Amino acid sequence: MYTVETFDLTKHYSGGKVKALTNCNIRVEEGRIFGLLGPNGAGKTTLVKTLLGIIHPTGGSAKVLGQPITDYHIHNKIGYLAENHRFPEFLNARQILLYYGKMSGLSKETLSRKIPELLELVNLSDWADVKTHKYSKGMAQRLGLAHALINDPDLIFLDEPTDGIDPVGRKEIRDLLLKLRTEGKTIFLNSHQLSEVERISDEIAILKNGNVLQIGRVDDFISVKSQYQLQIQNGTLSFSELCAGLNIPVLQAEDHYTVTVEDERHLNRLIDKLRAEKVLIKSIVPRKITLEDYFIDVIEEGEAL
Amino acid sequence: MKFLSIVQLTFRESLAKKTFIAFMGISTFICLLFIFALNVDIVDGMQSGLSIFGKEVSNQIDLTKIIYGIEGGLSVLLYTAGIFLSLFATSNLIPTLLKPGFVDLFISKPVSRFQILSGRFLGSILIVALNIFYLVIFSGLILSIKTGIWNFGFLWAAVIIVLSFLVLFSLMTFLSVISKNGPLSLMVTYLILFFSPLLLARDKIYALLSSKYFGYFFDGLYYALPKTAEMGAITQFLARGVPIDSWMPLWSSLLFAVVMLGLSGYIFQRKSF
Repeated sequence: MYTVETFDLTKHYSGGKVKALTNCNIRVEEGRIFGLLGPNGAGKTTLVKTLLGIIHPTGGSAKVLGQPITDYHIHNKIGYLAENHRFPEFLNARQILLYYGKMSGLSKETLSRKIPELLELVNLSDWADVKTHKYSKGMAQRLGLAHALINDPDLIFLDEPTDGIDPVGRKEIRDLLLKLRTEGKTIFLNSHQLSEVERISDEIAILKNGNVLQIGRVDDFISVKSQYQLQIQNGTLSFSELCAGLNIPVLQAEDHYTVTVEDERHLNRLIDKLRAEKVLIKSIVPRKITLEDYFIDVIEEGEAL
Repeated sequence: MKFLSIVQLTFRESLAKKTFIAFMGISTFICLLFIFALNVDIVDGMQSGLSIFGKEVSNQIDLTKIIYGIEGGLSVLLYTAGIFLSLFATSNLIPTLLKPGFVDLFISKPVSRFQILSGRFLGSILIVALNIFYLVIFSGLILSIKTGIWNFGFLWAAVIIVLSFLVLFSLMTFLSVISKNGPLSLMVTYLILFFSPLLLARDKIYALLSSKYFGYFFDGLYYALPKTAEMGAITQFLARGVPIDSWMPLWSSLLFAVVMLGLSGYIFQRKSF
């Protein structure tokens, strides 16, 4: 069963003039971190809100945790951190978690146990009794994260979770998300922080103008096909000449060579040749680009859309 | 539990607005005034003297009439100023609910949209009811204990005041759901509050107009809109122990509230945020 599944999910405004989301088809497996990327106005928040029933689709359908998105009862297994969320400013963190926890159907006993744990988890224990209008952006964000976890959800939607949070706090959140994944929870992450998405996401989708441009595993996107980076101990051998003999184009960088091979057998022939020449191979790794490079390429290619 | 938490949160939000605290302060002041300003001397079970603010009131005046008069006056005050202030103090509760970032958190919970809106509505009604019953019950108790005259009609008047607020607040809820604008909803509701009594004199308006269609139009408006003037009169009559001729203004206004709430719920259900 997929945790999130959409079938041509569409949201158009003004009779189709504004296309916030068009025929979106995604599937998110259980226990995965799914990153949603895209420039501003790409439709990321629209997709998340549609999956939560906050926005009604104009076409297609979707399921979360096996139930249609119109079934609000399923929300008791879902956590949500909204982008630019607003908590009542006259309440403190403890009260906010209490009220919204009750709305999730939790008992007072459960909440009295969970609230201190969550406040500790997001480093807000010392601020638990301070009204939220005194909170910084980062603190409000951490409270939002605690709120998203109050009902021990199976599926968590996080819309820009690290917005306004310092690097140390960001790392803490990353670690927390990875921990949640090991507990089998599915995380739907909407973020502008590409490096962050790259580090923790299993799969990503790139959206632009409401269209899904790419969807798949992060490793598949950032690995450059047929290109490998080699580190060898240079002796008397001319690596370039050896590659030329095997018809392998090579680029030399300061501490490594980048080779372009036809396939894995072609790479193995190179390795055999190096071993025959008694060259010490320090490392061979598939060449990768950053997710940011890939993202920009995809967005530029999708410029026509 | 889930629904109750929405009601509680709304109640808490209303309390955070200082208007209701001020309202309660004024009510307390009125009650204290009755405690200290009204003195009744009873000798052998009979009233021998009555003083208000230290001034003796003639024994010729019936004490029951005075108490019913005071309570009638209080109910009029509550009906006019109380509802006016209550509408003002609650005008932002629905538009606040609909703000981006706030409404999302509610809808993402396992509660229906109808529960969200009705919880918000009920919370608003409860805070106003609390304020009105606080004044009515305590002032009524003080007057009754001091004089031995128990007027339960005053309590019923409080019920009508709360119902009248409910009717007007249902209109404000509807306007807020469609416009998301608190001040606009408040102004239109005030307009209805003050325009509706004019429709009582629609016979005089017909006389000035040539077409009979104007007559149908004003009749339609009269029956469709809340009858605030008549409900105010019912409130006063109940407090003064005067029999009520017709309950039509009450039930037709409540019907208006049901329609407004139904429409609000339907629109809220269909909205994307």
